[in-house]
Amino acid sequence: MSEPLLRLENVERRYHMEGEDVRAVRGVSLAIDAGDYVAIVGPSGCGKSTLLNLLGAIDRPDAGRVLLDGRDVGSLSDREATELRLRRIGFVFQRFHLLAALNARENVELPMAEAGVAKRDRAERARELLAYVGLAGRERHRPPQLSGGEQQRVAIARALANRPALILADEPTGELDARTGAEVAALFQRLNDDGATLVVVTHDEELAAAAKRVIHMRDGVVVRDERSAAPSAAAGGR
Amino acid sequence: MIGRLVAAALLGRRTRTTLAIAGVAVSAALLLDMVMLSTGMSVSFRSLLLSRGFQLRVAPKGTLPFDTEATIPDATATIVALHESLDVEAVSPVLGGTIHIPGARGATSAVALGIDPRYQGDYELISGRNPGEGEIVANDALLEATGRSVGDTLTVAGGYDPQLRRFAGARRMTISGRAHFIYLARGQRAAAMPIASLQALGGPGRRDRVSLMMVRARQGADVEAVRSWIAKRLPRVTAISTETALAQVEERLSYFRQLAFILGSVSLVVGVLLVGTLVTVSVNERIGEFAVLRAIGVAKRTITAQIMLEGAVLMLAGAAFGLALGLVTARYLNTILSSFPGLPQGIDFFLFQPRAAWTALGLLAAAGVLAGAWPAWRGASLPVARTLREEAA
Amino acid sequence: MRYAAFLLAKFVAAASLAAQQPRTIAIDARLAADAGLHVGDVVVLAAQPGEAGDTVRIAAITRPNADPSEVSHQEYRVRMHLDQLQSLTSYGDRVHRFAVQTNGGASTDRAVAAIDAAAFGFLAHRSRDVAVETSATFAVVSRFHRAIGVITVVASAIFLLCILLLKVDERRKDVAALRLSGISRATVVKSIVIEASVVALLGTIFGAGLGWVATAIVNAHYQGVYRTPLRFALITPQTIGFALVLSVVLGVAAGALAALRLARAHPLALLGRR
Repeated sequence: MSEPLLRLENVERRYHMEGEDVRAVRGVSLAIDAGDYVAIVGPSGCGKSTLLNLLGAIDRPDAGRVLLDGRDVGSLSDREATELRLRRIGFVFQRFHLLAALNARENVELPMAEAGVAKRDRAERARELLAYVGLAGRERHRPPQLSGGEQQRVAIARALANRPALILADEPTGELDARTGAEVAALFQRLNDDGATLVVVTHDEELAAAAKRVIHMRDGVVVRDERSAAPSAAAGGR
Repeated sequence: MIGRLVAAALLGRRTRTTLAIAGVAVSAALLLDMVMLSTGMSVSFRSLLLSRGFQLRVAPKGTLPFDTEATIPDATATIVALHESLDVEAVSPVLGGTIHIPGARGATSAVALGIDPRYQGDYELISGRNPGEGEIVANDALLEATGRSVGDTLTVAGGYDPQLRRFAGARRMTISGRAHFIYLARGQRAAAMPIASLQALGGPGRRDRVSLMMVRARQGADVEAVRSWIAKRLPRVTAISTETALAQVEERLSYFRQLAFILGSVSLVVGVLLVGTLVTVSVNERIGEFAVLRAIGVAKRTITAQIMLEGAVLMLAGAAFGLALGLVTARYLNTILSSFPGLPQGIDFFLFQPRAAWTALGLLAAAGVLAGAWPAWRGASLPVARTLREEAA
Repeated sequence: MRYAAFLLAKFVAAASLAAQQPRTIAIDARLAADAGLHVGDVVVLAAQPGEAGDTVRIAAITRPNADPSEVSHQEYRVRMHLDQLQSLTSYGDRVHRFAVQTNGGASTDRAVAAIDAAAFGFLAHRSRDVAVETSATFAVVSRFHRAIGVITVVASAIFLLCILLLKVDERRKDVAALRLSGISRATVVKSIVIEASVVALLGTIFGAGLGWVATAIVNAHYQGVYRTPLRFALITPQTIGFALVLSVVLGVAAGALAALRLARAHPLALLGRR
């Protein structure tokens, strides 16, 4: 049995807010394998976004360990964590968070430029990724010229730029209408089918239903962790 | 990509960027002007004093050259005494006075300089030749006022008796040349003649007297040592070196240097504050954006460099415009100050000296960039998770 | 007889003593300080170094005039009786000028006309005209100061506009929230303009205070350097009034420009949703 890509061991995260200690994540332990498609669901304030931040080395646990490829993410320096996010993790945000002043291609190129990829190579890959997400021919358009769904697709392409081992998405359809949300959900499915490991935090039932595994959280703890009946992903990858 | 991000950030807020560049340009212009003012006077005065190679001035005791009507008696003996020093190469005696040129519509007065044509250092000949016995050279202002030209003869009087309403010591003299008088103010009418001629025009009271002697030390001589020697050898005169003259003029005009320092400092501080504030506000507005960049793996130093580069571009663009603006305003301000009554034409208050200018503008640019360093670092160092959460709220 | 001779002898002695009493002069405070002279000191005055000259006694020390034209010259001034100076300098019965006091107004005009008509080679000048002529240097300095003043006002206006724009821009989300809540553009603009005016006014008051302190420092410094009672910088009610009006106008204008820019934008655009 291969090592899980991601493992959490009794992870805790606390916040001090208005004189009170809030335990956003309490003693969470779980493992995620490569190629998995995990949805984390739960009511607002249950700690799912906090958990996602811990998985993505954006935040550090106050107790426990987060291991990515066997590496304790919580013990990394700021520079190492940043490097890890650049090369091994791709993020998709609820509000897309594209840079409005850059066009679609430039937004996708951004992580590649930071990783030192040559200009011609990154431009070519950016075009490929935009075509992959269904935005061929829109590379020169800037975010204000794109619809919400199109912006989210660009954000997904950006997340794929450096061929990450793991894609984390925080409410990726939260700002989208139902039809567009369904398109994005279909894209995520395609990503997973092509071998990407996905962890998605969502309120979207359709998105959650597409996942192979659903983790239910409440008050900072995992209350249910169930595999769905969805077929397993084929090999191959982007 | 950093360049692209910087361009995007600055061009995305055109009004703000334009105003910031304008603000820095004005600061830079004022700073440049004050740097020019602080050095201009002494540099141009020094070059004026040394334009003919005379490093020392000998004036009546306790006076500055032409500051009073006092004269040095026994000029011939004094010149001989000066030449006792092997370090003295040439002595140019100068007698100052006023001449009157009667005309159809009344008399034209002019400054008169009695000189030794062999060693004179007071004018540059434009046309004609140096004056001999019975001759004068005149500047354009005098020629225009009298309607004369080179070769003409005119009556020149040394004094005017108001009781008898008669000119004293009048004689006919020929204009031998046209000259530009180095130390006189713009528009001031002037003529030069052999010193003996002017002494004669002034009557017995002016015999063998001079207002000033300009001394040229030989190449390599210690000018200060020559000055000390003159002070000891001739206690009834005052020897002034170029440095001393400069120091005294600078003391009189110290106000402008102090003003230059104060205004220059203020404009430097204001320019830096402006860019610092702009960068801080810009960072505050974009902390969410920076948090996202950090989340997707962009390093702190990349973000810091981007923000500092934005500040640097503003400063450099502002400094470039400021250089052009500063030169224009300096010209205007110089025109105002050059109209000081009696100021020699060759004096500039605002003088562009490349080294000083680049140093000042470079200082402004560097200070501005550094002013952006702290907000840049702060913006890049905010905790990613918390910032994302707060920006989403 | 003997008593008459005694009186005569006393008279002759007194007359001889009076004849030996040095005449008195007044010197200026700068000369007194630099040369270490005091009232009562006896000095020798000569027209040229090394001449015998006159022995005189210092009867008074005078304060320098608050005359701008004398400031940079740093000349020492000695006042003595006219005949003594004429004798000392072998100038004879000559003077450089007369100062004439009239009853003012038309009598001055009549005096000028009479003098010009009567005296050969004399011209009478009104003191006012002489003052204008000799103030040419200071007119230049005034023009220079005014030019610098204009430049700094322009610079300040640009800085103010830039800062206000930044500050107002920072509050775009607040403005968006207000507009979405139904607050009118006019109210938003008015509140920002009022805020900008108050800031400008407070800044002016602070600046006036700073200017007053700076004026005191400038005067103290230059009066010390040039040893003169002349006041170099002066804050007048007109100056303060002008500064007040100017900064409020600039503040209002800058605030209005910044506010109008923001108020014109759609609230959703301010929130980045458009």
